[in-house]
Amino acid sequence: MKHLSRIELVDLIESSPTLSADRLRHFETCAKCRAEAEALRDGRTAALEDGDAEPSPLFWNHFAARVAQAVRNEPAPVAATSWLRAPVITWATTASIVLLAIGITVWRTTLHAPAPTAPIVRQAPTPDVALASPASLPDDVDADEAWAVVRAAAVNLNWDDVHAAGISAHPGDVENVAQELSADERDELARLLDEDRKRNGV
Amino acid sequence: MTRDRTEAARPEAATASEREDDRVLVQACLRGHRDAFDVIVERHQRQVYQLCYRFAGNHEDASDLAQDVFLRAYRGLHSFKGNSAFSTWLYRIGVNVCLNRVGSRTHKWTTLEVADRPDNRAERADARLLRGERAAEVRAAIAKLPKKQRAALVLRIYHDLPHDQIAEIVGTSVGAVKANFFHALANLKKLLKSQS
Repeated sequence: MKHLSRIELVDLIESSPTLSADRLRHFETCAKCRAEAEALRDGRTAALEDGDAEPSPLFWNHFAARVAQAVRNEPAPVAATSWLRAPVITWATTASIVLLAIGITVWRTTLHAPAPTAPIVRQAPTPDVALASPASLPDDVDADEAWAVVRAAAVNLNWDDVHAAGISAHPGDVENVAQELSADERDELARLLDEDRKRNGV
Repeated sequence: MTRDRTEAARPEAATASEREDDRVLVQACLRGHRDAFDVIVERHQRQVYQLCYRFAGNHEDASDLAQDVFLRAYRGLHSFKGNSAFSTWLYRIGVNVCLNRVGSRTHKWTTLEVADRPDNRAERADARLLRGERAAEVRAAIAKLPKKQRAALVLRIYHDLPHDQIAEIVGTSVGAVKANFFHALANLKKLLKSQS
């Protein structure tokens, strides 16, 4: 039969009722296990020779006052969910920042994307989907009403504040957004890129 | 004032009402009532101090460490979720502070810091001196133990914490705690034998 494990020996010297009758029988007949248990008991007895070092009774009042003074110099701890109780305007501002960051990320990264090396093949709209023709979409982004809302919300925003709020573009964001565009939206995006290239002489 | 080990530093498993009281006090602190933290300090200062003393080995360093533990607890109060007893959370901070601060320092062991207990007043001075020296030897030997073994031994022997609570404090399994405790006791005996 195997000798008692370290865990079993600890349970034994602490009189924990976890050892089975078989293991106890082994212990009673095994000199090695008994010697190990004796060594552990000796170590425990030795540790207990170092009694509690109790400071002077006056220490506790002085210590508590010291800690209280140190705590008074600290900023008050704030519950992690205190932002939930913020006024409505904070929520509105946060929502605006999120929308703005998404819009800016898509707009800036796509306008500065490298020019495609192959001509863009435009697919004809599928007949079973009611699509607006490219001609009905605004030619000038500045005239777009939705974009005007975003611009108005962003007029006083600091980009560092947006980053500090944890909102920033991550690798793959552009690809993820592009994959969510409809066929018509991709057509329009391609048209805008073409226009920009021609305007910049690329 | 004299206390035996069971009173001075033994928190055992916090009772349900004690845990609830601590949670209420923490919530009060987070609402801005700093005096609630004074109550927390008063309730836990002995066990924190004794823990720090076991690692520091002298009164001055133990006092500084204990203050640091409470300051860190105050700063991190928002992270106490109430999933464990507050004493367990506080012990976790204390063990981390102690292991980080005293890991590589030379300890100033004192031989005469054993409190005079009224029932030992009849003890002869030479016996008391020998007892103090022996206590210092034990502390010096414990200081040489690896960190995890030292933590397991201190929390089990001097704070009488159950193994599952120690596991929660040091962030490991009950089996690992018992294994570290095993090695701590065995090594302690060897160290004391080699010192003598």
